[in-house]
Amino acid sequence: MPSEYALSNVWIGIGVVIVLFIIFYAVGYMASRKTTSDEDFYAAGFSIGPVTNGLGMAATWASLATFLGVIALILKLQVPFVYLWIQWAISIPLLTLLYGTSLRRMKAFTPATFIKARYGNPSTIVIVCWMILIMIMYALGQMIGLGRAFELLFGVPYNTALVVAGLATVGFITIGGMYGASYNAAFQMIVMTIAMIVPMGAIMKAMGSSGWWFPPLAYGDMVPDMLQAIPTFFDMKYDFRWYFALIPAFTLGPVALPHLAMRVFTSSSVKSARWAVVWFSMFLGLLFSGTYVVGFAGNYFTASTGRVIASPDQTLLILNVFYNPTLVAAFVMGGAVAAGLSTIGGNLMAIAGLVGSDLMGVLAPDMDTKKKMKWGYAALLIGGLTAIILAFKPPKFLVTSILWAFGLLATTATPAILLGVWWKEANKLALIVSSTFCGVLFIIISPHVLPSICVGKGLVAALGMSGGMVTIPLSFAMFIILSIVFNRVSALSAYAPTLEDKMVIDRIHGWGDQYEEVRYSAITVPIIVAIVCMAIFFWGLQPW
Amino acid sequence: MKDKLYRKEMWITVIFSVLLLLTGHSASIFVLFPSLQTGTMWGFPTQYIVPILLGWFGIAGVCLVMTLVCNKFDDEMEAFAEENKKEKIIAKE
Repeated sequence: MPSEYALSNVWIGIGVVIVLFIIFYAVGYMASRKTTSDEDFYAAGFSIGPVTNGLGMAATWASLATFLGVIALILKLQVPFVYLWIQWAISIPLLTLLYGTSLRRMKAFTPATFIKARYGNPSTIVIVCWMILIMIMYALGQMIGLGRAFELLFGVPYNTALVVAGLATVGFITIGGMYGASYNAAFQMIVMTIAMIVPMGAIMKAMGSSGWWFPPLAYGDMVPDMLQAIPTFFDMKYDFRWYFALIPAFTLGPVALPHLAMRVFTSSSVKSARWAVVWFSMFLGLLFSGTYVVGFAGNYFTASTGRVIASPDQTLLILNVFYNPTLVAAFVMGGAVAAGLSTIGGNLMAIAGLVGSDLMGVLAPDMDTKKKMKWGYAALLIGGLTAIILAFKPPKFLVTSILWAFGLLATTATPAILLGVWWKEANKLALIVSSTFCGVLFIIISPHVLPSICVGKGLVAALGMSGGMVTIPLSFAMFIILSIVFNRVSALSAYAPTLEDKMVIDRIHGWGDQYEEVRYSAITVPIIVAIVCMAIFFWGLQPW
Repeated sequence: MKDKLYRKEMWITVIFSVLLLLTGHSASIFVLFPSLQTGTMWGFPTQYIVPILLGWFGIAGVCLVMTLVCNKFDDEMEAFAEENKKEKIIAKE
């Protein structure tokens, strides 16, 4: 891979990465000594405090894309991509509000634990399969980025970089389980934030900004020069529908991401989970604002120096090599590596939970917890190795876009979780039908599989925004309407929610043993939601 | 009491969902009302800096209030569930 970025002394880069990995392995080893039960392995013993968890949540959410991909897209698309990124900060608060604390109350390991309790085994298999596919896609994207980061850092061939980085990563995550993933993620978030923000101060000072003392928000004095160089930089460029389409695909998708939900579940209590979200929003806001300033500075750099950045995803590194000493540039690279590792850690822990706890709970319900935990370890290892193997020659469909996968998740899993938690009428068969039909439809109408059958074009189609505007509201509407119909067909009574299913809902909302049939059972509001969803569906079908 | 708690839970969920959506998607407001795109703040165009600020401190503020309100609501629910449990025990006796 041709690189515009090169450390003048490769050994400094190697030293920084080795030191980081020694810390990750040490944390993983110490964590492994605390892991004695499935609760420890999948949920860190439900013991993580709010600050550590807030850092961990932010690190798990902020992937390698925060350091590489998004900056490249800001360089290409400018401000609209900043708006797309901003709204991701509401994903964990929203999931905590809508179902996170309820599922924490039932001590779920993953969202699929709730699906099993609420909808039974067949539905669990459907949701688990979708979630595992998306987690593999997610981990694959991070693994490719990690391989490329090592390739850049050490100047070795991509395949060698991938194997070394991949195995080293899978190793410390497997050793540490959720305890290790949580503490490592908290540490990684600190490294990422320092690596993103502090060196930018020096870069901004060199660029002549008086706001170098606080890079995330104090670069307003560079705006006039920026507007002179790129007059369209702050233009909003797209119509209202483009911005609205962010909600179904990119807000509702991440709400169901199992590795984000699992961070909420590791909290020491329901109240602690909510406090963690407050810390999360502060930490993530700081890091994301750092990302926006790098995107801004990258555009400013190209416009003011006349230099062309041929590989925009290396913008942060190029700026640091250009303006900062080698040691600082190497540390920034270490920050990018930490960003990738924290997300892979979350992805692999989610795969472990989905297979070891949820899938094995369906396939072998009588298996003892020790054995299930071993399956979890095996799934984690196999998931990591699969991502490494796929990353050698990645199938185009799988790596086209992690962002596209969010739309798939919003179509297949989000309605199941949200309606399952808030609506007693949600029917098991309706879930399987709507999730499978709309999930397959989302894949078909994307440009990645059958380009001739595609809703939308260009970027909105590639990112799944136009497809999501069709299949996500359709999935919600189908699930609601089919649930109402199926619950009233006596031949399908086996799929109707039982009293036990309904009692789960009251319990996870905190009512204890006080069950009442009328709670969460209304029909009018869901029908109104279905009508609104159908209106959005038809809006999404209009030419883009 | 139980109806009041149920309604309160619904309202809390709806209000904070809307507030989170508004703070996360505030850029849409500038598209809907282009006349808002004329000002500046701290040297930045408002349509740029306001969504960034709301996406950071706005969300954090909503999360803080949400945490205080929801944790207080949990206390009320726990007190209700506890009272209900005691009543059941007394009725059995």
